[in-house]
Amino acid sequence: MTEARFDEVIHAPTRLAIVALLAATRWADFKFIRDRAGLSDSALSKQLTILEDAGYITIRKAFVGKFPRTSVSLSKRGRAAFNGHVSALQQIVAGAGASLRAS
Amino acid sequence: MSEQRLEAGDAALELAEIERRQTGVIDAVLIPRWYWWAVGLLVVPIGVTVDSHQRIATAVVAVLMALVIAGLSVWMVSGSYPGARIQPATLGSAGALYIVGFVWLVVGVSLVVAFGLQAAGVAYPATIGTVLAAVMLIVGGPMLMTRLRRTMVARSVGAR
Repeated sequence: MTEARFDEVIHAPTRLAIVALLAATRWADFKFIRDRAGLSDSALSKQLTILEDAGYITIRKAFVGKFPRTSVSLSKRGRAAFNGHVSALQQIVAGAGASLRAS
Repeated sequence: MSEQRLEAGDAALELAEIERRQTGVIDAVLIPRWYWWAVGLLVVPIGVTVDSHQRIATAVVAVLMALVIAGLSVWMVSGSYPGARIQPATLGSAGALYIVGFVWLVVGVSLVVAFGLQAAGVAYPATIGTVLAAVMLIVGGPMLMTRLRRTMVARSVGAR
């Protein structure tokens, strides 16, 4: 059972897009996230730094042949925060439904 | 009341956005149609060379095709092709069972048909068996992906 907890770090639209897509993956390439989230390299780097500082993601840099490859994955803490955030949103929606039914 | 409605509306929009993003990832990591055509077409030469009864040619073609198919499959499944690897929890045990079941179905049916035809004295049993496997891959592969997509979208966090 996930504890519902609204997360301000994840709530920001750009970071929500990044974390939502990372939550469905074990890992994703920098390029994949950039293209899917529709961000520039610099904008994505900035958001990834914020998420990494919060302990929500892990960034790995490696070389595939001669090409550098950056992959990103959601950390255990990040996944828990995301699940908690989703639960909090669901509670808000469910609460509104209950109060509307009661009124 | 209006504030409550607004907050709930925003929360619903945010949940919809999460679901949209996760569905986008699922669509991106699904194995494309061309892969099933490629594997299907690579399987047939194995059957053709088996029926030629030339041992060296059969061994060379079988190893070569197996290596190409294995390489292509690893490239797909490892996540290198789309640039992301799906979270196992999103696929779930049902999704994994669909994949394993499909592979066993294709291999099992084509082998049973090929050996059955050979026992019945029909010409080119291996070729017919591998053509059947190719048809099953080309037709069944995209169907499997449709089924997996439905399973994964239903299991994604945003959809719960």
